Amino acid sequence: MGRIKKKGEAGNAKNYITRTQAIKKLQISLPDFRKLCIWKGIFPREPRNRKKASKSSTASTTFYYAKDIQFLLHEPLLQKFREQKALEKKISKALGRGDISDASRLERNAARPEKTGKPRYTLDNVIRDRYPTFVDALRDLDDCLSMLFLFANLPSTSTVPAKMIARCERLCLEFQHYLIVSQSLRKSFLSIKGIYYQANIQGEEILWLVPYKFNQRVVGDVDFRIMGTFVEFYMTLLGFVNFRLYTSVGLKYPPKFDQNKDNEAAELGAFKLEGNHAATASSEPAQVTGSDSAAQPDPKTQAEVNKLIRQMKDAAVEGDQTENAEEKDESTDAIDKFEPAAPGGDVLPQPTYSGSEPGSLFANCTFYLSRETPRQPLEFILRAFGCKRIGWDSVLGEGAYTTNERDPSITHQIVDRPVIQAAMEEDGDGEDNQTSQKLAPNQRIPGRIYIQPQWVWDSVNDEEFKRPDEYAPGAQLPPHLSPFVQNTQGAYDPTLPLKDQEPEAEALEDSDEEDADEDGEEDSFAVKKPKATADGMDVDASDDEDNEADDTFGGFSEGEKSAEEDDEEEDEDADESEELRNQQELEAELSGKPVKRTKVDTRSQKLEAKKKLAQKAKEEAEEIERAKGMLSKKKRKLFEQMQYTNNKKSAEDQKLRAKRRKLEKQKARAKA
Amino acid sequence: MGSSKANLKRKASIIEANDAAATTTLAQSAQDSDFEEFGDGILNAVLDDEDSEDDSDFYVEGDDQDDDEDTGSEDDIASEDIPTDNEGENKLALANRTNHENDEDEDDRPNYRIEKDANGGVRYVYDEIDPVYDSDDTDAQGPTNTIGNIPLSFYDSYPHIGYDINGKKILRPATGEALDSLLDSIELPEGWTGLTDPETGKPLNLSRDELELLRRVQMKEVPEEGYDMYPDTVEWYTSHVEQFPLSAAPEPKRRFVPSKHEAKRVMKLVKAIREGRILPYKPPEEREKEQEEEEEVHYDLWADETPRPPNVMHIPAPKIAPPGYDLSYNPPPEYLPTNAEKKAWEETDPEEREKTYLPQKYDSLRRTPAYDQFVKERFERCLDLYLAPRVRKNRLNIDPTSLLPKLPRPEELRPFPTVASIEFAGHEGRVRSVAIDPSGQWLASSGDDGTVRVWGLSDGKQQWQAKLSSEDPVDVVRWRPGQDGLILSAAVGEDIYLMIPSIMNPELEQASRAILDAGFGYASNAKQQTTAAGARKDPPAKWARPGSRLEDEGVLLKATVRSPIKTINWHRRGDFFCTVSPTGQRSAVAIHTLSKHLTQIPFRKLPGGAPQTASFHPSRPLFFVATQRTIRCYDLQRQELVKTIQPGCRWISSFDIHPGGDHLIAGSYDRRLLWHDLEMSIRPYKTLRFHEQAIRSVKFHPGSYSLFADCSDDGTLQIFHSKVVNDLMEGPTITPVKMLSGHRVVNRLGVTDVAWHPHHPWIVSAGADGMCRLWA
Repeated sequence: MGRIKKKGEAGNAKNYITRTQAIKKLQISLPDFRKLCIWKGIFPREPRNRKKASKSSTASTTFYYAKDIQFLLHEPLLQKFREQKALEKKISKALGRGDISDASRLERNAARPEKTGKPRYTLDNVIRDRYPTFVDALRDLDDCLSMLFLFANLPSTSTVPAKMIARCERLCLEFQHYLIVSQSLRKSFLSIKGIYYQANIQGEEILWLVPYKFNQRVVGDVDFRIMGTFVEFYMTLLGFVNFRLYTSVGLKYPPKFDQNKDNEAAELGAFKLEGNHAATASSEPAQVTGSDSAAQPDPKTQAEVNKLIRQMKDAAVEGDQTENAEEKDESTDAIDKFEPAAPGGDVLPQPTYSGSEPGSLFANCTFYLSRETPRQPLEFILRAFGCKRIGWDSVLGEGAYTTNERDPSITHQIVDRPVIQAAMEEDGDGEDNQTSQKLAPNQRIPGRIYIQPQWVWDSVNDEEFKRPDEYAPGAQLPPHLSPFVQNTQGAYDPTLPLKDQEPEAEALEDSDEEDADEDGEEDSFAVKKPKATADGMDVDASDDEDNEADDTFGGFSEGEKSAEEDDEEEDEDADESEELRNQQELEAELSGKPVKRTKVDTRSQKLEAKKKLAQKAKEEAEEIERAKGMLSKKKRKLFEQMQYTNNKKSAEDQKLRAKRRKLEKQKARAKA
Repeated sequence: MGSSKANLKRKASIIEANDAAATTTLAQSAQDSDFEEFGDGILNAVLDDEDSEDDSDFYVEGDDQDDDEDTGSEDDIASEDIPTDNEGENKLALANRTNHENDEDEDDRPNYRIEKDANGGVRYVYDEIDPVYDSDDTDAQGPTNTIGNIPLSFYDSYPHIGYDINGKKILRPATGEALDSLLDSIELPEGWTGLTDPETGKPLNLSRDELELLRRVQMKEVPEEGYDMYPDTVEWYTSHVEQFPLSAAPEPKRRFVPSKHEAKRVMKLVKAIREGRILPYKPPEEREKEQEEEEEVHYDLWADETPRPPNVMHIPAPKIAPPGYDLSYNPPPEYLPTNAEKKAWEETDPEEREKTYLPQKYDSLRRTPAYDQFVKERFERCLDLYLAPRVRKNRLNIDPTSLLPKLPRPEELRPFPTVASIEFAGHEGRVRSVAIDPSGQWLASSGDDGTVRVWGLSDGKQQWQAKLSSEDPVDVVRWRPGQDGLILSAAVGEDIYLMIPSIMNPELEQASRAILDAGFGYASNAKQQTTAAGARKDPPAKWARPGSRLEDEGVLLKATVRSPIKTINWHRRGDFFCTVSPTGQRSAVAIHTLSKHLTQIPFRKLPGGAPQTASFHPSRPLFFVATQRTIRCYDLQRQELVKTIQPGCRWISSFDIHPGGDHLIAGSYDRRLLWHDLEMSIRPYKTLRFHEQAIRSVKFHPGSYSLFADCSDDGTLQIFHSKVVNDLMEGPTITPVKMLSGHRVVNRLGVTDVAWHPHHPWIVSAGADGMCRLWA
């Protein structure tokens, strides 16, 4: 017989510890504990058995893993927290005495930890501890970036000091510079929440969200102290990550920061990247920033000059890899292609680098951003995809390649303003006005592609130039699709035509509806026609659509109703109709005529198909039911749950398909 | 006494004189020594506060030794460099006294007077001794009132105002006459204060010295006369450098050697500076800036990274799901919500919404506004990161249908009975039992009406009938297995009848009769054996002819046992059959040998409750007996219990053994059908609970079809397909295939018995509604 097991000495009872217990054990206050948890990445757990884990009769809310707390017990930060608390006590005591000079002395000394003052902590160790390898840190960068980009856009308040915001902004810009240099940005997506970016750094996919450049509204109760704790950690993390990333591409970190330029809203242009070697630093990074590239004659010649310089001092070349990557550099990076030397061997699949690097999509373009476009995201994304010459209106800030809209080197102009009818007519004699620096609104310069901002994003996501006519100013934009959706089998995909993805039953129903529509079509036409022609750009499209939907719905629903009625009738007396058909056939036979392929006939055919489908579905359902009977209760529940979620998903898809069908029909009708 | 009186008198005169002096001149009164002393005392008292310590010193000295006093005081004077005011006064007082003494010394007269006493003798009358208390005691002033610290008003009614040190009354001074006071008011004497001395009751006047002092104080002069406030400084240390050393001692070495102590202190400072503990002063802004730079120190944190396997208990935070199509600022139109959906979304509670956002369409990027929930969502994510309990959940990303067992297709399971093809109607009351003969042509049934009927299975016509009993129901009817004869057995109460229905060809009938009759030869043997048991004992069964009426009908043999029989089961060879009578206690199970007309009772005692049914193993010499809860398997040859099967049900109704011999099914009244693998465990391999009422009977198909069926009081039969493989690793797969319903439920009894066709997948069921049905 084994030893008698006592209650509460092993298992859940020992492995989990409530928050109050944890705080007592660590002897710190709750806010300090919270801070420590955030920094050390300690999170509550859900014990397998709550009842066994909690020793008290009341239901405890949060449990921590006992070993996590044990781990926190050895944290050097804990001591710092305690010291800090002691200091605060001293200061408050001094203030209580009215001894302000003493308090201020303590406070001042706090800056010098060696003088009995505030313990200054660094989070380096914490970061190293949490992320033993660099890749681990990259893996956790999503939240870090989203947070810092948000804080970079926040207004400064008492809870969010301006210094913190400035630092966040700097770190973010530095990170963006790395992405530009390393060309590791992969995808981006304009959503209603903000702009999503996805980068691939050392094989890790990092996705983060950047808010649009507007003043952020703070709704609800948001505790900025907690956010601040996170940001403090993230700032340190991103600092180290940036350092590592910069050094990995041979750049010096931190890059030179020009306060004056930053004050003039140069943003990315305020930084000047320098190579790790002083010799190369002078020539290379000038192009990276693009801030003073206006003075350069031509990037190509510049590149050649660079090459010459490099050949001349061939000593310290290895370390630096800038964005004008040489062939030599590439050869080290890329995977070698294994060609079979002799026939007969198996072919092993290899990941292929497409011929055109995604990072150099816009390499040969010169962009000009109009006043109304969002400069920061556009500048970033264009630069990240290889564009070196971006000009913009001087209103948008410092650091443009050119502020002259008439610069002949501009190949693309990004415009986001509506087309005014009058100006359109004027387009012809726009040439006369060329003497003025600024162009009149809607004036076009020949030999230049005018596009809306979405073109950039769509091109980037598809890694090819989209057709500019679809994105011309004032044109109805094609839908902007998320590049992050991985289409699974059977799920609804808006890029594919409807016919390819609807199941048989729906197709049948659809065609059924079509028939029904034929009756109701004339009504809906009457409503529709005047709308179709007047499709002005300035009319709010969504509103318009709603109206359309509503209008057509009246006509449409009638048709639908009739179809439904038909269905019902047919369901009820299906036999009758069959008999009828038989009779018709008989009659036809008797009279010697071919059977009339009437509408009724096609309908009944469809009905038959439908019935067949229903029969099949029923059989399948029966089959499943039968098999389910053989499952154990647990498995059956699991199965039912899975089926529930699957059904939910498919119901959503079905709804989407139905909506699309309706829309397509409307469109077709509008065309007709 | 006399002297004291005299003294008093003198005092009074003094006072009077004093009064007179007050009225006339101060100089006169000043000549009186007493008064002088008194005034002196006052002055002393006035100046007393300045240095009480000195006073006490004097007092002590004066107390101890009167003679030393002079020298002591003189010493004091000598020792003090700068005499204080007080001491100055004292000096004055002392000087006065010494004068007195000197006077006395000079006179050198005796301090007594010689008088003549009453006797005429010489009598020395000594002078009053002046103890000279006041000489050193500044407090002791001449005739001081000793009443203490009480109000003077207490003495208002007395002529005196207190007592002096000698206990003599101090008389109240005569209050000034009105004229006096008038005079006083006209001509104020020098030093007049208008106050009355509380101790003496006399008007308090100030002396000249005191007036002088007051004047000096008023004029802000130094109160002490002749005191030089600014004496010339004595230059002890001058600015002149002395040419020569004061001493001829040589210069000590320490003057030339650097101080070790200093060096130590300096080194301490140097160290502190080096270590950065002492910093040069910097303006706060500059320091702040420096500090910031210090904070931003970056280095390669992962310079020596070593990958560490993730902790098993660590659960990384789930990443935020990437945005879908509906989050686009310009989504495909089908993703936009309809008005109804929008309304529904707005009406639901924010916490219950499936999505936190509504898809929106903006026709250009310029129109896209900021997302107002951005900060909140980020905050919530933060909360999730550190506050949400994390649980590792295994998401089964599989097709749910893969969970389902791979069932054989229904086509593969076919054929099995599906429809009721023939109904056999004729019984009155319920049909209790049905059986199909080994050739598959005939169906025998028995029921509550006491008849046994034989039907043609293919046409449903009744071919033969025998009424065995008028009151008892025929509980069970079974055909004897084997093709050599066609014998039907039935049990009514305690009787077992063996019949040969007259439906077959004569040869077969003859053969059957021969089988039945063969046993009559052995009957005597059996009897002998029983008589050998000492006492006269009933045989377990009596074998006899049933009587001529029944014999004509074809019922040829009858065996009577002790208790009513419920089941009959034949051995496969057709020579033995067993009967079970649940109420029979010790003789409940009996094995009968047809060829010998012999009945044996194999179990003296049967544990596990009343036996329900029994059966022979289809191939081996094993015998199964089902008691209420268990099925016991006995080896007939070795006569021992092989195993006890425990189906786990409450009350077994029937069981059947798979033709292969390794499996067993049992039905129970508590609605369970249990499949046992005899090789594996005594516990059921599968428990099937598909019936809503008690299961009456279970049967395996005896032929090549791997089917089995059960029937229940809910009026249904259930047909199962069972695939038994001769593989120890793989259990049999049981598939429910068909549920046959058609029988009516009468008195909560549905289907009472089932019987499989030996060659076809047909099944016959007996119903409580008096019908038998063939399902094909």
